[in-house]
Amino acid sequence: MIENQKNSRTGNTVLLDLKIERFRYSGAELDSLQHIEVNVAPGSLTVIVGESGSGKSTLGEVFAGILPRQGADQCLGTINLAGQRIEYTGLECQRINVAGWAKHVGLLPQEAGHYLSRIRERVAEELVFSLENEGVPRDEMCQRITALSTQLGLDHLLERDPAKLSGGQERLVALASLAISEPSIMVLDEPLAGLDAEATAAVTEMITRLRAGGTAMVVLSRTAKPWAGKVDALRTLANGQLSKASSDDLVQHSVFEPTQRRATPIEANVLLEFGDVQLVHPGAERPVLDGLDLQVRAGECVGLAGANGSGKTTVLKAAAGLLRPTAGSLAVSATTGMLLQNSSDQLFERTVLREVSFGLPKKGAQRSRVPEVLSQLGLEAFAETHPYELPASVRRLVALATVLVREPRTLLLDEPTEALDSAGLARLQEVIDSVLIRGGAVLLSTHDKEFMNRTTHWVHLMSENPEPTAPDS
Amino acid sequence: MPKSINLHPFTVLALTAAVVTMTTAAGLWWLSCAVITVCVLVAGWTGHLRRLAVLSAAILIPTFASLLLIHGLVSQQASGLIAVAGPFRVTEGGLEAATVLGLRTAVLVVAGLLCTLLISKHQLVAAIDLSPAPPQVGYLLAATLFLLPHMADKQRTIGQAQALRQAGTGRGLSGWFQRVRLRAVPLVLASLQDAHDRSSHLSARGFPAAGSHTRLRTVADSVTQQRVRWISLLCAVVGPTAILAPFWGSA
Amino acid sequence: MSPNLLLPEETSSQVLRRRILATAGTLLLIGTYLVLVITQPTGIAEGLGQGVALVTFAAYLAAAVMLLVAVLPDLPVSTLTLIPVALALNIILGQFVGSVMVPLYLDSIGTVLVGFLAGRRAGAATGVLSTLIWSLFAPTVLPFAAGAALVGFLAGTAARFGALRRPYLAPVAGVVAGVLVGVVSAPVAAFVFGGTSGVGTGAVVAAFRSMGDSLLSAVTKQALISDPGDKAIVFLIAALLIYALPKRLSGSFDFIRRYRVLGQRGTK
Repeated sequence: MIENQKNSRTGNTVLLDLKIERFRYSGAELDSLQHIEVNVAPGSLTVIVGESGSGKSTLGEVFAGILPRQGADQCLGTINLAGQRIEYTGLECQRINVAGWAKHVGLLPQEAGHYLSRIRERVAEELVFSLENEGVPRDEMCQRITALSTQLGLDHLLERDPAKLSGGQERLVALASLAISEPSIMVLDEPLAGLDAEATAAVTEMITRLRAGGTAMVVLSRTAKPWAGKVDALRTLANGQLSKASSDDLVQHSVFEPTQRRATPIEANVLLEFGDVQLVHPGAERPVLDGLDLQVRAGECVGLAGANGSGKTTVLKAAAGLLRPTAGSLAVSATTGMLLQNSSDQLFERTVLREVSFGLPKKGAQRSRVPEVLSQLGLEAFAETHPYELPASVRRLVALATVLVREPRTLLLDEPTEALDSAGLARLQEVIDSVLIRGGAVLLSTHDKEFMNRTTHWVHLMSENPEPTAPDS
Repeated sequence: MPKSINLHPFTVLALTAAVVTMTTAAGLWWLSCAVITVCVLVAGWTGHLRRLAVLSAAILIPTFASLLLIHGLVSQQASGLIAVAGPFRVTEGGLEAATVLGLRTAVLVVAGLLCTLLISKHQLVAAIDLSPAPPQVGYLLAATLFLLPHMADKQRTIGQAQALRQAGTGRGLSGWFQRVRLRAVPLVLASLQDAHDRSSHLSARGFPAAGSHTRLRTVADSVTQQRVRWISLLCAVVGPTAILAPFWGSA
Repeated sequence: MSPNLLLPEETSSQVLRRRILATAGTLLLIGTYLVLVITQPTGIAEGLGQGVALVTFAAYLAAAVMLLVAVLPDLPVSTLTLIPVALALNIILGQFVGSVMVPLYLDSIGTVLVGFLAGRRAGAATGVLSTLIWSLFAPTVLPFAAGAALVGFLAGTAARFGALRRPYLAPVAGVVAGVLVGVVSAPVAAFVFGGTSGVGTGAVVAAFRSMGDSLLSAVTKQALISDPGDKAIVFLIAALLIYALPKRLSGSFDFIRRYRVLGQRGTK
């Protein structure tokens, strides 16, 4: 039963022992988790690998005592934590003290920003939010902040506004806010997803430091790669069931073959042309970018690269007609369709089918394309599901479907790989190929270098945004 | 550059309450005008004059117009007739009533808004957290103030997203209803989902505090300010009574 | 020391105090209303008018705050996170809808939404809080807190007794709520502010006044013209928004499950 015999640090004690016979959300027809058995030893690293929709996040919330919700979800099982035994027997479960539980097991949600209270002016205040609720004296809070900030290297963030952090910084602050309560186990849901190389390094570094301090980690992730060589126990989660895996077959398994840039197509019509374009956000004083020259030809897939804030999204929005250039010329000679970065903003119907066919004339050609588009993206099975009940990856594909059904000649994609799992990525790749074969063009922005290299013919590097100069007044 | 006032937020609130109640009770047009002038001067000194003017005008102009319609145009008073035409009767008394009522509202609006502009939001939240008020109040105030600009942004993004889909271009009543639906449904869905996702983590962080709670942020206070607060509150309650008591016998 | 993982069973020691507060708040509201309607104080601009204005203002505000303090500790965190969203929705949707063409307020969509999702106590608390916070930007709404509490309370009550099980029932419940809210809020408009705050509503009041009505009855009649229609539309929009929610989300509210608020829709 004990997984970590090879690990000398663990000894014989087990911090948490979780046995879940089955777990089902209120109103759901299928179990989300079945036959789960995990035990966590002090200071160990457990990695649980699973695709989007495999039940990872559900398992994470069961770990943290957030699920099952009393009187709603059905759960059978037992948990031993900190010398206490919790029995789940169907609907009748005990009232869980989530805050007390959190002192033993802290959960970093997939969307790290959800962990932040979002009501504090400075990061330092955000860090101690849970201590404030406990009534810890102010002097002690100051000491804990100083100690933690030294241990984790956070000094540069303490005075920042938590609402204006980048994705990576947000995760660092959320991790530190978890760590300040000194839980013996931290459950991290996708701690590295969507981060660029620099942020990944910073977050990994913080996790390493926390482990050095003796915190046991349970990582829920799509890939075990970043944890290779450090793992004490590796499991895979598929369809809500957990199985053991040896570290070798997971790390080496890669969905895509080594990639190469495709050949640039021969001279073709220009579908999109920026000539010395200047773009200004409404209400902003400084232009986001200036002097942009860019041509996108039929059959071409072009990538936009550059740091955050260099105006990639703005270029795409201009091409989609959402923003008029304040100077220069912009020629759009074919229909465009754009996938926004946060595509949930677009969804409002009760089922995927209604969502995709929204606004299309009843007997038009586009309406007849709906089933085709759904099957192209592997969404047939979800046609009658509410878009918000789908896993993030599938929801992104629904948003893509609403764009594709109108058959745009030029496809504009803002960070299309975000939230996509490997199956979703494969679909996206097919979609891009089919648009190019049809004689269309694709303009996309992404921070995923591998995807950029594999997909695009060439990359336009956005010029560095001039440093914001100090206001004159 | 707006200056910030280094007073405890409750001191500002208590002073405002005292000034508004006593001015309302006195009901003298010159006193009301004086109070408004002082508020405007304070706003000018602290650099909030423009915002104060814009915000109060948005409330006061329709109010004055409405009061003129109700009291000035269809006065029911017998004496002091100025003009009459059909159902309309303009009297001196009616115009006076409209002015007095308008000034009463104006004092409340100008003083209240000035108070809001002078108080730092974060200090107010901290002061509420440190007071005996239920811990939920501070959170609700802070969260709302944060959410307002955030959701207004989201609303614009949704508008753009729908424009991209060429959705919501219909005309007439059904077009209007469609547009409301296209804007409202994603906004409500996204923000309710967000609130739901956050709530479990908020309770994991021990909110709302069961026992006593503390704040890292400090709110500067002094004995003088505490005294000022008590005196102001006393004035807010006793002042109007004292001013109005002589009238009660005559009514 | 190890914190307990389970919560103790609910104690009833503080429940009584909350009940008393809620009852006191309600009685204060009803009492003030009855006194105002029965005595019909006149002479708005003289000394007496100011006293009536201040007393009405204070009594309505105090009643609202008492109701809030009584209800707040009972609300679960999932409802507490909902309330800021509701207030922001009140303002943002109110602005968007109002800016288009209709001469209604539509500023209570969020409050009604919370009432539908989380019950009448949560609805009432949302109404009061939203008014208190909105008063930071528009001080004149402060004494209308009690009316806003009533909107939320009635929305929750309507949902509990099945107003959401059929789409056409929601606006009917809205009309009833509108009548009650209009009647209760009219004294504030009449005695504190001496009329209304909008030009359109002011014209309606002036029309009734020219027919010889007293200020209170003119304002009440105006409220009976605008409020039921307004609340009917708000209840309808809120109901349609609830229908659009995914079941996993709506089903996570205890209130919705316990009273089968959505009827067949919730279970299919």
